Amino acid sequence: MGGRVVRMLVVFCHPLQESFAAAARDAALRGLAAAGHEVRLRDLYAEGFDPYVSAAERARHRDPWHTKPEIARDIDDLRWAEGITFVYPTWWSGLPSMLKGWFDRAWVDGVVSTLPPGATRLRPLLTNVRRLVIVTTHGSPWWVNALTGRSGKRTIFRSVRVMCHWRTRCAWVALHNIDRATPDARAGFLRRVERRLARLR
Amino acid sequence: MARIVLVFGHPRQDSLNAALRDRAAASLRDAGHHVDVLDLGAIGFTPAMTPAERAAYHTPTPVIDPVVAAHAALVKRADALLFVYPTWWSGLPAVVKGWLDRLMVPSVAFSFDDDNRLVPGLRNVRLIGGISTYGSPWRYQQLVGDNGRRILHRTLRTMCARRCRRRWLALYTLDTRTREECAAFVDRAGRAVVRWAAAL
Repeated sequence: MGGRVVRMLVVFCHPLQESFAAAARDAALRGLAAAGHEVRLRDLYAEGFDPYVSAAERARHRDPWHTKPEIARDIDDLRWAEGITFVYPTWWSGLPSMLKGWFDRAWVDGVVSTLPPGATRLRPLLTNVRRLVIVTTHGSPWWVNALTGRSGKRTIFRSVRVMCHWRTRCAWVALHNIDRATPDARAGFLRRVERRLARLR
Repeated sequence: MARIVLVFGHPRQDSLNAALRDRAAASLRDAGHHVDVLDLGAIGFTPAMTPAERAAYHTPTPVIDPVVAAHAALVKRADALLFVYPTWWSGLPAVVKGWLDRLMVPSVAFSFDDDNRLVPGLRNVRLIGGISTYGSPWRYQQLVGDNGRRILHRTLRTMCARRCRRRWLALYTLDTRTREECAAFVDRAGRAVVRWAAAL
């Protein structure tokens, strides 16, 4: 099979360490380890990441990336990564605000995109990233999500993906109706997560 | 005379978004409506659901923060919700999403009946309006899904009145707009919100 080692940035977002999302994260990490990939783990809540873009930060948003020490770690992770795996609960069909704030604050001009002089369209810069994986749970059944538009999935697989390599492949592993899921359904989902990440190339 | 809750999500008071907020509120008040402006940045609204809030979610008291409780009381009495914010990454700025995450909890946005079925809790809301600025062009937003609007007009709407109206006003390709175009957009916004609220 010839697996090549992928540098995978795993971004975990849930306020509680004792959560099903944390179990999903651990399943993802087991899968990545089994396939021999290189992993960096981010845990936005545990790190005390601030998702709010302040007035001062917004005023500087077009400043060069190297003048932003407050997101130095994030910039380093983004440049290191060849793949990004997001593990989070879907709330109101979208990303939890803590994770949305990671994009708002850390995905900056000069790192993920650039606007060449005279151009009207952004040019993607995060072309080192070729894999985007979402591992997520939903309170509602799949058909509710289908009707209400899967906003979180689109945000990452469309809007964020545009900044990555044009051949970026996306993988989606989701559990629906979590509030009613049986222990078997939950365990089955965790196995699916582990297998999907282990299969990643 | 309608009760309108305006949720504002830009960090800067000197922004176009702030001008839109001010014009929308003033126009609605001039037209005789009651407007509560929730300026999330100015009040230091905690932008993400806290561990304590998440732990309380399935308990009889999911609302534990007094600011959230105060906002929830306004929303439960409102005829309309109006959102004014810049679209970032095709979606809501984190603090606006955080307002939904923390506020739209059991006993506020919905509840469960005796058969454990979900009962919408915002049937009083008959209009969800939004005014947003975008860096990208309209066509690009159509391709990526205009996900902030989607969350408000589709997902949030499932908890509101059955015939809850949806209204939207957008300014695209913001970076190429002149001062005059921005001023004209503020004028349009002031007129639009009065039209939207007239049927309440």
